[in-house]
Amino acid sequence: MGTRSAVSVKPSLAQLSAVFFRIGNFTFGGGSATTAALQREIVERRRWYDTLQFGLCYALARVTPGTNLFAFSTASGWLLLGWRGALAALLVASVPCCVLVALVTVGFDSWSRNRFFQAAIAGALAASVGALLASFWLLVRPYLDRPHLFQTLVIVAASIALSLLAGWPPLAVLLLAGVVGFFWKGPAQ
Amino acid sequence: MSFLVVYLLLLKATLSSFSGLAALPIVRHDFVVQRHLLTDHQLNTALVVGRSTPGPKGLYLIAVGYFAAGVPGAVAGWLAVVTPAILVIPLLLFARRRIDDPRAKSALRAIVIASAGVSLSATLPLSADALRNPPLYIIAAVSLALLIFTAWDTLWVMLGAALASLALVLAGVMTIPT
Repeated sequence: MGTRSAVSVKPSLAQLSAVFFRIGNFTFGGGSATTAALQREIVERRRWYDTLQFGLCYALARVTPGTNLFAFSTASGWLLLGWRGALAALLVASVPCCVLVALVTVGFDSWSRNRFFQAAIAGALAASVGALLASFWLLVRPYLDRPHLFQTLVIVAASIALSLLAGWPPLAVLLLAGVVGFFWKGPAQ
Repeated sequence: MSFLVVYLLLLKATLSSFSGLAALPIVRHDFVVQRHLLTDHQLNTALVVGRSTPGPKGLYLIAVGYFAAGVPGAVAGWLAVVTPAILVIPLLLFARRRIDDPRAKSALRAIVIASAGVSLSATLPLSADALRNPPLYIIAAVSLALLIFTAWDTLWVMLGAALASLALVLAGVMTIPT
């Protein structure tokens, strides 16, 4: 497991809440784009935890039922500040965007006919495609070092083929990857 | 429809799915087909709302709850989407005890890499839907470059993309995708 980012000090509850509030509630493109933005902020910019800890939260969130982003927020908060961090991250990442969804639902008919709203959403959704591609790169990049390159390329290619061509559900692909990784350790760490 | 019933129905859906819209068939069966709490049009509207707002796509369940039972239903929807997240903590406690095992590390690495592949697969249909004219391709490419090569905050990249799109429409350079 790559650990290219050195870890600095743990955040305060206010700092943790501010990051999960800002990124959890203002990133378009779904949970993957938001998790990628959180990865950039927490691992790359602030270095609150390293790639190994990010991988742990990310992988477990993917195999937890429900909304992956909220499981990721809870796991990250718990890892950084225990129960209060978990609850704070979960609440600040979920309450404002859920309130926004409820408000948009109430006024959806008038919002959806608004030309300015439609134009702005089109741009935000285009940016979310960029964010998702960036997320792919940021996730895979730590494992492209020479000893792991072949294994990484095989897993990426197989997961894409199983998802896109064979139509496997994400959970099945991830569980298979876990089993393969368990038995195929690759080069010494 | 009572708060508790809406909560339990939506919780059943969230507990039996592992990503974005995977709960949709269960939601449609329970709310539209079996109990007639929603119409298909309302379910579609809920999906569009979930897609048009920031955060996870699974938040369409808030709109489903609202259509089924008003504000209490929306609150039930919020509770149903956050409740399963707590389950990650026992998983984390279990996994942390084994994280120094090289096989566990290798399995974890494989899951993260496969997640990236699965996410990339999901990006393709989203791209086809979101990038419907050349200016939107350019906005996506510029966003990608900014997010990879600069330390710009994602929020500002998204906001900049929204403003650029708005400006292009107002200038008559781009039409709004329908």
